[in-house]
Amino acid sequence: MWQRVAGAGWRILLAVGLVCGIGLLPWLTHTDPAYTVLKARSAEREPTPEVLADIRQQLGVDGGPLHVLAGWLGGLVRGDAGQSWISGADVLPYVTRALGASLLLMGVALLVAVLTAGVICLRTLRLGARRRLGGRRSGGSGSAVLASLPEFLVASVLATVVGVQLGWLPALGWYGPQWTVLPALALGLPAGAVLGRLLDDLLPGAFGEPWALAAAARGLTGRSVARQAVRRCVPALLPNLGLFVVGLTGGAVAVEQVFDIPGLGRTTLQAALAQDLPVLQAGTLALVLLAALATGATRVAARLLTGPALRDGALSSLHRPAPPAGRLLPLVYGALLVAVVMVGLVRDPLALDTGQRLRAPSLEHPFGTDALGRDLLARVGHGALDTLLLAAAISAAALLVGVLLGLVPRVSAPLVDTVNSVPPVLVALLVTAVAGSGAATPALAVGAVAWAPLAAHTSSLLRQERATLHITASKGLGAGPVHLLRHELLPAVVPPVLRHALLRLPGVALALASLGFLGLGAQPPSPEWGLLLAENQPYAERAPWAVLAPAAVLALLGALAVSAAGGLRRPARRRPSPTADGGEGAERRSVTATEKAPAGVG
Amino acid sequence: MRSHRRPRLLAPLLLVPLMAGCFASGGGDDSASGDGGDGDGARLRVALAFPPAENLSPYGADATLLSRLGVTEGLTALDANGSAAPALAESWRRDGEKDWEFTLRDATFQDGSDVTPAAVAASLTRATDAEPAPAALAGVTLSVKASGDRVVRVTTAEPDPVLPLRLSSPSLAILSKDAYAKGSRVDPVGHATGPFELTEVNGAASASLDRFDDYWGGRAQASGIDARFIADGTARANALRTGELDIAEAVPVAQAASLDEKTRRDTATTRTTSLLLNASSGAFEDAGLRAAARQALDTSVFAEDVYEGYADPGAGIYGPAVTWAEGKRTAPVGRAAVKKPGNGDTITLATYDNRPELPEVAQVVKQQLEKAGFTVKLTVREYSRLEGDALDGKFDAFVLARNTLLDTGDPVAVLASDYTCDGGFNIAQLCDKGVDRAVADAEKIADTAKRQDAAMAAEARILGSDAVVPLVHQRIITGVADSVQGVVLDPYERTLVGTGTRR
Repeated sequence: MWQRVAGAGWRILLAVGLVCGIGLLPWLTHTDPAYTVLKARSAEREPTPEVLADIRQQLGVDGGPLHVLAGWLGGLVRGDAGQSWISGADVLPYVTRALGASLLLMGVALLVAVLTAGVICLRTLRLGARRRLGGRRSGGSGSAVLASLPEFLVASVLATVVGVQLGWLPALGWYGPQWTVLPALALGLPAGAVLGRLLDDLLPGAFGEPWALAAAARGLTGRSVARQAVRRCVPALLPNLGLFVVGLTGGAVAVEQVFDIPGLGRTTLQAALAQDLPVLQAGTLALVLLAALATGATRVAARLLTGPALRDGALSSLHRPAPPAGRLLPLVYGALLVAVVMVGLVRDPLALDTGQRLRAPSLEHPFGTDALGRDLLARVGHGALDTLLLAAAISAAALLVGVLLGLVPRVSAPLVDTVNSVPPVLVALLVTAVAGSGAATPALAVGAVAWAPLAAHTSSLLRQERATLHITASKGLGAGPVHLLRHELLPAVVPPVLRHALLRLPGVALALASLGFLGLGAQPPSPEWGLLLAENQPYAERAPWAVLAPAAVLALLGALAVSAAGGLRRPARRRPSPTADGGEGAERRSVTATEKAPAGVG
Repeated sequence: MRSHRRPRLLAPLLLVPLMAGCFASGGGDDSASGDGGDGDGARLRVALAFPPAENLSPYGADATLLSRLGVTEGLTALDANGSAAPALAESWRRDGEKDWEFTLRDATFQDGSDVTPAAVAASLTRATDAEPAPAALAGVTLSVKASGDRVVRVTTAEPDPVLPLRLSSPSLAILSKDAYAKGSRVDPVGHATGPFELTEVNGAASASLDRFDDYWGGRAQASGIDARFIADGTARANALRTGELDIAEAVPVAQAASLDEKTRRDTATTRTTSLLLNASSGAFEDAGLRAAARQALDTSVFAEDVYEGYADPGAGIYGPAVTWAEGKRTAPVGRAAVKKPGNGDTITLATYDNRPELPEVAQVVKQQLEKAGFTVKLTVREYSRLEGDALDGKFDAFVLARNTLLDTGDPVAVLASDYTCDGGFNIAQLCDKGVDRAVADAEKIADTAKRQDAAMAAEARILGSDAVVPLVHQRIITGVADSVQGVVLDPYERTLVGTGTRR
């Protein structure tokens, strides 16, 4: 009980800290709010001292940050979130409207994501249900490619091809159900691909558990075995699903922009840039609340799905039989990537020739040219080193932090929720406020968010792993906590989390590039991959190769990471043999599972 | 078990009524309802690029939006030559140094009340009291009084030769008494004088307008306007292509090629993209190096390639949209001799990405300067994160797109603010006695033609200092559906829909 109270207290403390941090933002970054508000109202207005003084008086920021914050919090108690500093409109209805649109978009996107994840797992499910999984490698390159596609690229392709050229669905606006389809696809496909990969990663383990064999032997249909296998694996993914829910609600800026959706992502982005503190605080608070709700919901769902087994320590370890690791596929992907980079490296990435702009691929320019006539192959090749080194370094750090914090879920879970619910731009601004705008700031800003899903994944896997019989057995044999951690828990948890981190590596590269407009990160004419995508996006329709080239190498990177990580399994010597893994537990598990079938997923 | 499952699957349907609240309202009218049942003039569907920032307050940037949609008018307007033309004021005369008399025409507000001198005086007085003051009134003190039946008398604290131009600013639009009824907020909905009347505003998403039948300039042909605010240029172009829109404002150059040739109309604007060189610190403090930079730039590339022909090569501070400028232009005065850049001359070049072409321009500038022997480091940020540093002189060079006629329509104003020692927007950090004197001379002249001559003399001095290298004069592309006629393509970007616009 007292633990729960402490958890709630920690959560509230974080939320309060966040709101106060936002309230202090202008003073921490030494950026005058009157100035940014003026620029948001009218970019061309000269910032003369008189104008700024007038605005400062209008906003009431003369009294300093504490005065402003106290005033806002006082209003909040009375249910008044203040007025927007830019427009003077009431914040509460404004943010509520935006939140409504975003929640709806997220809801439909989640549906798309779940369907996508289902399609990705279909092959494993079908084979597993027929007990033919043994000896087959998981595929997964396709889903890895999908997972590494940037949302804005999917969005612009859908808007142009389906919306404009085919005219099947409206390409713009937010006026009814048919308007939700394309944006939801743009958000849901990559998210679903990540979830699908993670699920597909766990499923073979579930099918390999003794209960599945027993169920099949007892004559249960493949369908219900598959359903139980999904039910067995989903709890480990629920925290990540919760993170997606919140992330898609507050961070869908690019998709909102392409489809002109009046959502929370754009609202908070504008407020963050203009330092419109009341809107920013209200928006962030709403997202933090949503995060708390989502976490609560995922906990309840997890309990419904694995409750008794988790409590009784009656799970078996979710480790698939050793797959014959794909030796050839990663080699092919790796060789392809290296070849592209090598060929690109010998060409000049910065040579402009505006007469040659937007040329289609040819012998002279195998990947075509960009809007300034630069050779794209050269740019892709030269960008590889920067992009990969930085993104890999950040991913590694995020993995380390994620696993470490994931080991102490009581401390990290509220932290994960809070960090994840803060819009990325705001994180960047807060990091800049603390660390200054040095060379390391963009990496810090991206890293500050990147560890969160990994920590959530770690702690959910850990929760399940702790409930397994072999841990109970080890404990019974006198293993101390350190021994358990080193020899039982970590070896079981780290490989899937590592694969997860690799899956997110292209996303890290994109996140880095998205901070460029704050003056953080790579600046043109650097050929960093994220920047390549961003600068060629306006030409996506006229010169598709200009975005396809960087998107393709990112996708190749994703495929390489996933296929190479297929070999990263738990060391064979620690893997319990199926028969020794507690037949009794499996029996009990399958009985409870049959009894509670209505609550199952699938 | 199955019977238990059904209702659970149906449960989400209960959320459907709730969902309706999550969609944006308005703007979704399809063309059927937009055609107007009364058969005289269809409604126009217009997409504007800038959403209202301040709840359509007439004192900020939203003023332009109101005047572009034909909602508000001032006492005067700008004509094609950039001189003041009659609008709500039929005529005016200067009475001594500081007094002006404006004679009003017979007009009514959209709420039915008459446009009386008292109403005009009250409206303008509110504008002078606004905090912060509208940009057109920055540094100006004026008092407005009704004087007789049809006459408004404006008195300025200092002689102001460009007052009629100043009053053409959209932020000095005339609104009826009721617009000011709600405390500090000014509400233009139904209280203006233009051919279209705002009826509904949905935040920053859309607005509906109806024709104002008693407009003094005659009834508009379109029965109303459904305006949507779409910030993303690609999205605007897409909406036009799918037939969701009749008029799309400011189509980005990158999207122009995706529109039919008949659909895209381009107009020269008063916006000039220039390279500003920091004349008071860093490498470009040396006029010889500024001259070298100027000489290194091949400006033809920008208009032809980066802007794909939707721009004119930089000729001076004023472009072809300022129609009188070309005929009065004189050669730059006092240029320094070109010096060869040394090895240590690393310069920082900055620009912003709010206009997508600028980073491209900056990258071409970088390459051209590097060819001439400079070492260039480029910085690209969002504008509001950049301007402060630029005004403080932290960059050696800056690529800026600047409206050269500003809020007043007075050509001298931009010279005074951008290139004089005391100028408030002096990114070039230019402080040159000759320039200051030439600008001060021009500011004193009341006669339009002579003022223009003096402005061009000052321009020649400023160009002579090489603190600014004009790169291109932008053209704005408006996407207009085939069926639409009479769109007003205004180089000053103050009007878009007029009484003659129809489809």
